[in-house]
Amino acid sequence: MFRLFIIFITLLNTSFTKGVTVQEIIKRANLASYYQANDGKSHVKMKIVDSQKRVRKREFVILRRNIKKGGDQQYYVYFSRPTDVRKMVFLVHKHIKKDDDRWLYLPALDLVKRIAATDKRTSFVGSDFLYEDVSGRGIKADHHTLLKEDEKYYIISSTPKNQKSVEFSKYMLWIDKKSFLPMKTEYFDKSGKKYRLVEALEVKDFNGFLTITKSKVHNLDTGGFTELEFHKVKYNLKIKSKVFTERYLRRTPKEVRR
Amino acid sequence: MEPSNKLSEFSINSPKLTISLICIVAIVLGIITALPSIWPEKYPSMYGLKIDTDPENMLSKDEPIRLFHNKMKKEFNLYDMIVVGVENTKHKNGVFNSKSLNHIYQLSEYAKTLQWIDPKNKDKKIGVISKNIVAPSTVENIKSLKEGEILFEWLMSKPNVSEKEALIIRDKALRIPFLNDTMVSKDGKALAIYLPISSKDMSYKISQALENKIKEFSGDDEFHITGLPVANDTFGVEMFKQMFSTGPMAMVMIFILLFWFFKKFILILSPMILAGISVTYAMSLLIISGNTVHIMSSMIPIFIMPIAVLDSVHLLSEFFDKYPNIKDKKQTLKEVLKELYWPMLYTSLTSTAGFASLALTPIPPVQVFGIFVGIGVMLAWFFTITFIPAYIMLIPQSMLENFGAKTSSDNKNESFGSILKWLNQFTYHKTKTIFTVAIVMMIVAVYGITKIQINDNPVLWFNYDHKIRKADRVLNSHFGGTYMAYLTLESTKENTVAQFGIDVKNSWNKSLVHFNGIRPILKTLNENWSSYIKQNSLMTKSQLVDGFIENYLEKQLDQADDDSYEIFDEALSLLELEKSKEDTFKQPEILNFMSDLQSYLLTTGIVGKSNSISDIVKTIHRELRNSDDKEYKIPKSSLAVAQCLITYQNSHRPQDLWHLVTPDYKRTSIWLQLNSGNNKDMVKVSKAVDEFMAKNAKKYHLKHNWFGLTYINVMWQDKMVSGMLQAFLGSFLVVFIMMSVLFRSTLWGILSMIPLSITIAFIYGMVGLLGKDYDMPIALLSSLTLGLAVDFAIHFLVRARETVIHYGSWKLAKQEMFQEPTRAIIRNLIVVAVGFTPLLTATLIPYQTVGVFLATILTIAGISTLVFIPALIKVLEPKLFFNKNSKKMTYSSHVVIILSSVSLVVINLHQLLEISFMAMMPQAMIATFVLLMISYFISKKGRN
Repeated sequence: MFRLFIIFITLLNTSFTKGVTVQEIIKRANLASYYQANDGKSHVKMKIVDSQKRVRKREFVILRRNIKKGGDQQYYVYFSRPTDVRKMVFLVHKHIKKDDDRWLYLPALDLVKRIAATDKRTSFVGSDFLYEDVSGRGIKADHHTLLKEDEKYYIISSTPKNQKSVEFSKYMLWIDKKSFLPMKTEYFDKSGKKYRLVEALEVKDFNGFLTITKSKVHNLDTGGFTELEFHKVKYNLKIKSKVFTERYLRRTPKEVRR
Repeated sequence: MEPSNKLSEFSINSPKLTISLICIVAIVLGIITALPSIWPEKYPSMYGLKIDTDPENMLSKDEPIRLFHNKMKKEFNLYDMIVVGVENTKHKNGVFNSKSLNHIYQLSEYAKTLQWIDPKNKDKKIGVISKNIVAPSTVENIKSLKEGEILFEWLMSKPNVSEKEALIIRDKALRIPFLNDTMVSKDGKALAIYLPISSKDMSYKISQALENKIKEFSGDDEFHITGLPVANDTFGVEMFKQMFSTGPMAMVMIFILLFWFFKKFILILSPMILAGISVTYAMSLLIISGNTVHIMSSMIPIFIMPIAVLDSVHLLSEFFDKYPNIKDKKQTLKEVLKELYWPMLYTSLTSTAGFASLALTPIPPVQVFGIFVGIGVMLAWFFTITFIPAYIMLIPQSMLENFGAKTSSDNKNESFGSILKWLNQFTYHKTKTIFTVAIVMMIVAVYGITKIQINDNPVLWFNYDHKIRKADRVLNSHFGGTYMAYLTLESTKENTVAQFGIDVKNSWNKSLVHFNGIRPILKTLNENWSSYIKQNSLMTKSQLVDGFIENYLEKQLDQADDDSYEIFDEALSLLELEKSKEDTFKQPEILNFMSDLQSYLLTTGIVGKSNSISDIVKTIHRELRNSDDKEYKIPKSSLAVAQCLITYQNSHRPQDLWHLVTPDYKRTSIWLQLNSGNNKDMVKVSKAVDEFMAKNAKKYHLKHNWFGLTYINVMWQDKMVSGMLQAFLGSFLVVFIMMSVLFRSTLWGILSMIPLSITIAFIYGMVGLLGKDYDMPIALLSSLTLGLAVDFAIHFLVRARETVIHYGSWKLAKQEMFQEPTRAIIRNLIVVAVGFTPLLTATLIPYQTVGVFLATILTIAGISTLVFIPALIKVLEPKLFFNKNSKKMTYSSHVVIILSSVSLVVINLHQLLEISFMAMMPQAMIATFVLLMISYFISKKGRN
């Protein structure tokens, strides 16, 4: 009887995974989190809290434009608050086949700096988010394995193909079966200790585009965390491509307002 | 029979019972101490052995500087640090070669793993704080590449670098001011890694683990581990080794000397046992009562032992001299005890007073030390009059055949015969020479005392050759310094909310005026702002700004058309700009001031290196400006400063910034690396900073403060020096009052204080003349001197007084005085002075110091007792013995004793309750007057 039950379970399992391969899950998750619609815009409120509960806030507007779904895309991040960072701009041209191009405009110094692309796992403006979290990690950078699935999630373990290039040894993803949005990601350091946790706390539907509107990353090493809230999410705005050029670093485009 | 002698009587009559009782109590105490020490979890309600090597505990837990130190450490996320320095003198590039860097890489990676689960909190890890390690593989390099690119990269991202890469790493690190002279030596040859640790008491464990790891490396690299935490913790570990090696060695030495004097093995075993029991009792009581074994209390046994030996040697010496004549143990003991009872009690009481007075110092470990040495001394006394008689009674009569001095008349063959004879003659006939010598000695001593340098340095508690001392020398010659101190600056000026509200409006009215059709918008804006402030009167400025933006400005922005959007957007910006003016440590002029302060610090020659937010801003600015050295400066606006800092925070370690400034930019901390841990050097630096701030900081409204271990050490040293001085004055008065009461005369009281005063003056004069620092162990010795030096004087004077009364004159009495009593003193002197020479072999300087000073104290105290006192008695004989039969005190003695008592109370109150001397003057004068009146009437009555 028991043996039969086991066989049944095994059959059930294979039948599920048969439907969706790991590669496909990852691919769909990537599209769901980074490529919704043709372009998009959101106001973001960021709250950085350290282990002593000291809070710093930043606000910015993200404009995004896909060149190709699942392929190259462009980000324009315009900082509005606090005054320190006001009018600072971070521009990314994400490429699949080569290194990304990244620029940072520092208005008070009247400087446009290109940020070398060698390492994207540095802090995003002092927060616990990394630059790589903003534009997404290439899906081909890691080996993905479907560990298991339950009613709600695909649980996937990913290990980097090039261990030396990153500070983690692996990460685990909890991908929502319906939306394909990653609801939780846990990172493990080289000694196998969990040191970082990214959670999606709220998902909203914007005309059929399911979008994470609240997320939080915990830095388990420092005891701090960073929260992101996405407001005024809009899709398919037909943002002009010229906005995403170096010329618009110094000149605030109309698109970032409102 | 003296009431007291009942104790001795009991032990003479029931020796077995006495010894059994003493042993049973010792065993019980031993068990109570051992159980919770070995199995702390089984006996949670009992106190076990707790070791405490943290010098911070020299200050009580609620001491303001300590609270501040801990608060700042938390606020800036700073930890005490172990410093591991690496040099390679064989390779032409020092450690910047492939092999050495690989070792350093491995060691740093290994250090990250030195973490353990906190026994108190299973979720927490203790040990090395891996995220804050400063090592080539954990720090970042920022640099600008071609085409205006900037780059953050791990300085050494992988092991096994090539020879060429090793040099690149060196050059990169040298270009980062934060690392140059901190992680990489200026000459580019040596390297230091900094390991922050969660608590100091882990540093020995961690340094041992590192040493074991280092042993795996082959090659010419020399690793040195140092830092105050390591020094402290290593001291704690070695302190125990010393206690268990030099202590017993001293006992063996004393045993040999006693054997030489008394030739009876069975008899001389008793002082050993006595010292052992006294130490066991005192230390058990210390541990049972929940006190920790601190650096200070670890020295309790060393202090109790000589005093315990002293009493019993007096007793044995008398017994040895008297026994041959009496030939009966019981009778001899009774006579000996009768003669020695009072001097022994008094010497013990005075020693106890000397140590117990330390309980009034404001330093907890010193208090514990004083109290328990005091207890130990009284225990030693108690055992001397109970255990020793009982022990002697248990020795079979037959074993004492041929024991003792041959015959009392046969002077020539007795021990020290010729010295005694010489003393007898010299002190009687050469009084003028003696006084001249004494006066010259005192003048030299006082000169020496004025030269005393107050200084301490926990690293100097180790021998010159100790690896910690060596590491200290090597690292401080290569790098900025291994002693950390932190200077905090904070703004003292802050606008009121009302003023801030007005400033914001002024800024709007001035800067928004150029917009078309601004008037009505500006008016509503101003009104809304004013009423918002009024409605939220309890909010801070940040809350007001955030609240106003969220509740008003953002709503306006949402509804606005294109033109008014511009206006509200600008208004928002101006509001925040006004607020950011209070971010003190983003202001360029303040950062430039900090740089000036840092350059000034370097001119002291003590601060080898300092790191501040100012250095970070300059470095980032330089790299943003294409690595141009001319751009190594603070940019002109606070916004530019802020954007440099944002850039810095785009790195792998954004949290590093908060070691140097608080996120609200209202307080900053400058990390100073001192190349010396000498307190006097830290004092120099802090004085230099005071001066600089007084002269230059006024217009910036900054106040400064210190924290960090090096500074904490100075704080407790200050307390110790003044505390010890007052404790000493207090106990000096106590002893003086006791002596005056004992002899019913202040003249006798003064006489008995002379050897002690000379000894103290001599000892501290010597400390000053030899240029030895007045440090913790030296300070402690003042109470030991007091305890030991008065000892001889009491024994001598009590006997002298009785003898003079018996024989009628000093001339006759001295014949007897320069026999047994003097011999006992000389025996004691030799036993303790020579007996503790094994302490000189200790690897820890405080133990050596105690050894040297015990010998010096006893020699000087002995000489002054045996030379100056007899000479003084000769000269003062008429005054000393003008009323041989009266036991009443003169009125002038009353006056002196009352004055001393009042001063004693004043000193103690001053120290205990921290009342100033001036505040107590009126009360003191009234008290003196009342006491004098009472004493006057009593003495008048007595005469009538």
